[in-house]
Order: sequence, then structure tokens, then C-alpha cells
Amino acid sequence: MSPAGEQTVNVTIRNEITDLATVTEAVDRIGAEVGIPSKTVMQLQVVLDEVLSNVIKYAWPDGGTHEFYVRINVQNGGIEITIIDDGRPFNPLDQSPPAPAADGRRPLPGGVGIHMVRQLVDSIEYARFDGRNQVTLTKCYGLEPPLRPGGE
Amino acid sequence: MATGLTMTESRNGGVCIVSLTGRIDGSNAADFTTHLNGLISSGEKSIVLDFADVLYLTSAAFRALLVATDEAERKAARLALCSLATQVRELFEMGGLLDAFTILGSRDEALARLG
Repeated sequence: MSPAGEQTVNVTIRNEITDLATVTEAVDRIGAEVGIPSKTVMQLQVVLDEVLSNVIKYAWPDGGTHEFYVRINVQNGGIEITIIDDGRPFNPLDQSPPAPAADGRRPLPGGVGIHMVRQLVDSIEYARFDGRNQVTLTKCYGLEPPLRPGGE
Repeated sequence: MATGLTMTESRNGGVCIVSLTGRIDGSNAADFTTHLNGLISSGEKSIVLDFADVLYLTSAAFRALLVATDEAERKAARLALCSLATQVRELFEMGGLLDAFTILGSRDEALARLG
């Protein structure tokens, strides 16, 4: 039995865009069970959609069915998400920021996803080891502020 | 279904209103694109996308909206978004895309602009 407010979920999904739903449901569930604010849950969903979509689209250019791993750990008002895949080396932090729109033109969509991820998490780290990519994201959602000494 | 996006169409004069409910993400952005491009190629000239019940959207949805806006321009059609919740508006802002679309506060404003 884990302490209240602490929970870990491990999900293995395939490189199929339809498998994203498994993670979306897991995040909704853990958010409701641990009591994560709904705005934070929404932001996590955006972050995971961006990062996992990239893995699905780019990690295995030769195609075929592959599995990869997502771990979501929640404790002490913080969330840590780890994504591990054995696809080709891919550091999401290397992606260029969105190109500025030309005068009077709409911006191009490239790079918008990771640009949003950077703003939605507190930290993002990439490591490559044993032929695997590992992306670790953290986000604090804050606990109730402690009572102020001397306060009522 | 947790990942569902529902698109419901209604009409106000010459304006086609698409009410979006749920989330627009990588799992359904292709359907969203197909739906929007279908409306434009069927000859709709004024389309309002009502975001009132959209929980969130991701860059896959922004891509769909950019493609549809370009397509609308080519077909001399107008596309407007309305009724974005604060948290959804923030995502447009983070994506640097608030100015890329016609975004109006309410459905009435959108109808007044396009009607």
C-alpha cells in the first residue's frame, strides 16, 4: 500500500498512434486518484502526446511494430515521467524552435510541440545508453501551502 | 472514450458551426483534418469552430488548423475559432499561434463577423 498521494504507473505501448489512448487514460486515472489539479493533468496530457507522438513517428524509420515504455511517478506534489525506447538516437531537445512567420504569413507548424513541452514542464532531460533513448520530464503541481507561523 | 473528440455541426444562416467536444491530440488529429478539409471542399464558405467544450489541444491539432486555414484561403472561405477556455487559449499562446487564426470571444461574435 503506497502512501496517500504517491503512485507509480508503468505502461508499455506500441509505435501505433492509437496506443496513445492507453497513456491518456492512465494519466486521467492517476490524476483523479492522487488528486492532481485538472489543469496540471491537462498539461501533462499535452506533454505526453507531444513526446510520445515523436517517438512513434521518428524512432523506427524502417517501420515494423516496436514497444516502448512510459513510467509515471507521482509523489510529494511532483510528477516524474520517464520514456524509454530502443529506436534510433533522438534527442527532443535538439529540435529547432519554431521558425518565425514570414511577414504577413502564418507560421509553419514545425517545432511547435517541443516548444510547448519546454514551457509546460519544470525540467526535461535526455540520455542515450545501452542503445536506448531515455527522456525524463518533471513537473511540480504544488501541495497546499503550509500554515504560516503566527497565522490564524 | 477518454480520448474522444466529438464534432457536431449546426447551421446559422450561411455559417456552418462545428461544436468541438473533448480533446484534440495525436490520436484524432487526422480525423479532425479530414473533417475540416471535407467541409471546405464541399463548398462551405463560412466556418466557425466552437471550442467551448475543448479540454485541450496539442501541436497535432495546431497543424490541422493551419492546414485547414490555408485550404480555406485557397477556396475563398473563412474560418474562425471561438469560445476558447482560458487553459486552451494559453496553449495557443505557448505555441506562438494566437495571431495565426481568427479567434473570437463568443459564438455570437463569430457569427457577427462571418454571417
